[in-house]
Amino acid sequence: MTNIIEIKELIKVFNDGRKNEVRALDGVSMGIPHGVVFSLLGPNGAGKTTLVKILLGISYPTSGSIELFGENFRNIQLKKRIGYLPENHKFPPYLTGEKLLKYIADLYGYRPANLDKRIAQMLEIVEMSKWSKTKIKNYSKGMMQRLGLAQAILHNPELIILDEPTDGVDPIGRKKIRDLILRLKAEGKTIFVNSHLLSEVEMISDSIAILNKGKVVYSGTVDELTTQKQIYEITLNREFDDYIKFKLEGFQVVDWKERKFRVKIGKESELQRIQQILQENNYLLLGLNQVKTSLENEFISLIEKTGNENE
Amino acid sequence: MSNVWTITKHTFREALSRKVFVTFFLITTFVLAILIAAVLAINLSNIFGPISMKLKIDGDFETKIFSVLKLFLISPLYSGGLFLAIFSSSSFIPTMLEKGNIELLLSKPIKRGELILGKYFGVTSMVFVNVAYAVLGFYFILGLRFHYWDVSFLITIATITFAFMVLYGLIILIGILTRSSLSAMMLTYLIFYVFSPLLAHREKAFYLIESKIIKGVLNVLYYIFPQTSDIGSITSAIALNKEIASYQPIFVSIVFIFLTIGAAIFIFNKKDY
Ligand SMILES: Nc1ncnc2c1ncn2[C@@H]1O[C@H](COP(=O)(O)OP(=O)(O)OP(=O)(O)O)[C@@H](O)[C@H]1O
Ligand SMILES: [Mg+2]
Repeated sequence: MTNIIEIKELIKVFNDGRKNEVRALDGVSMGIPHGVVFSLLGPNGAGKTTLVKILLGISYPTSGSIELFGENFRNIQLKKRIGYLPENHKFPPYLTGEKLLKYIADLYGYRPANLDKRIAQMLEIVEMSKWSKTKIKNYSKGMMQRLGLAQAILHNPELIILDEPTDGVDPIGRKKIRDLILRLKAEGKTIFVNSHLLSEVEMISDSIAILNKGKVVYSGTVDELTTQKQIYEITLNREFDDYIKFKLEGFQVVDWKERKFRVKIGKESELQRIQQILQENNYLLLGLNQVKTSLENEFISLIEKTGNENE
Repeated sequence: MSNVWTITKHTFREALSRKVFVTFFLITTFVLAILIAAVLAINLSNIFGPISMKLKIDGDFETKIFSVLKLFLISPLYSGGLFLAIFSSSSFIPTMLEKGNIELLLSKPIKRGELILGKYFGVTSMVFVNVAYAVLGFYFILGLRFHYWDVSFLITIATITFAFMVLYGLIILIGILTRSSLSAMMLTYLIFYVFSPLLAHREKAFYLIESKIIKGVLNVLYYIFPQTSDIGSITSAIALNKEIASYQPIFVSIVFIFLTIGAAIFIFNKKDY
């Protein structure tokens, strides 16, 4: 099956040729398959929002090609199949939550027979039923965000694009939003999330891409990024002595700690050799683990490696 | 087309939520109330009765009185009502273009041109309702109190709304270009109250001007700027039951609307948000 989003060599230059020219996207290519939770990460100003806006026809690409649902993205009817939560959205303050959803349904040309019921359901899902008849101008930030989610999924879209969905939401609210995202995924939807909240992304994403200064600096799964294949942590039954340290000198041991040490492995045979040496010296191997770092560590080191815009 | 209707409907609702239009309504209601009180207090037949008996003045004089009265009502509505209309409508496009609003609209399966047209029709229909309320109010007061029913007076609803439609094309264009309601408002006031009246009366100044070039430039400017002053004259002529001197301002203004809205859509289509 083709990808739901297919981006090739996308370039976006704002104010092209002028003094304040900004290269917001610089040759971005990515493919996002159906039915996954995909997160686009990156520091402020990396180009995440710009990418999403181009997908939705809010900004125009300078060059490159984009396909949505296997079709040229310029086909305006495709937008009916996409739900979108904009970053820092402002909804008409004079509408109530319920009226806003009616308005959004109108804008999508979404007119099912049971629209009122559907609206009530959506408000229920985001726990806003209580506020459905309150004007938006009286909503808190978290309530706005929840309503924003409701309007993004109202017309039952196949692709849901959420730009910073947990922005301004408290920890409990965030957990609920994560649950909602997973629930949507279980229903077969594809969810595209822009975020810089790494710990959250880590919990829900099937795949991620990291954008820095308009370039993709990583794409793959969180696991692939945080599981460093070459570093192993070895736990022994007793503290090691200098002799064993001497014996292991030929290996890249990075960290000695009481009964544990970490070692960088080039080939698997090296690991076998280490095991052998330990056995010969009457050490018992209690644990052998691949080292996982946090997404945050990897993110920071990647951004530092590729240069941080904000510095 | 149904998209334009959707936007029109919601723009109308947005307009209802604005205090200015409500103010417009209240002011109109207030003026109508005063008028009602006045016509109840003054008994016109007491005035007309003895006069027409003594001086044997036929209905012609009465008609003249009513004409002046109608003009007296319609002129403030034209300049004051349109003042309020410009004031309250100039922010619709800049508000739509605000960060956080525009993303929501542009992500929907609606063409940018349809958004502009919807805004245009939504706001102008709001102004239409306001103007119709005022004119119908005058019409019924004159009719019920004095049995003076002048259906042609109702045409001023169309001409006043039309004058606004001309100005609103310009307001939309400036709004798209500058995203600033203040500049849209100021420029429109300048045109409505200064340039258009001056240019409409340019011929009176022609005997002072020698240069053919300046005359030519003034003539060109006259056709480029919205001819709201002439539409005002047409409105007065209707109120006075006079012949309309020329329909040309109407045609030129229709072209003006098409050009400003067309340009606004063209530019809007090219912009990044
Ligand atoms: N309309 C615009 N005109 C000019 N420059 C723009 C415009 N929109 C975005 N930019 C610039 O493009 C770059 C990328 O911005 P973008 O909003 O996509 O970043 P982001 O990754 O979403 O950041 P954040 O995490 O802060 O939301 C920034 O340098 C920004 O200033
Ligand atoms: Mg952003």
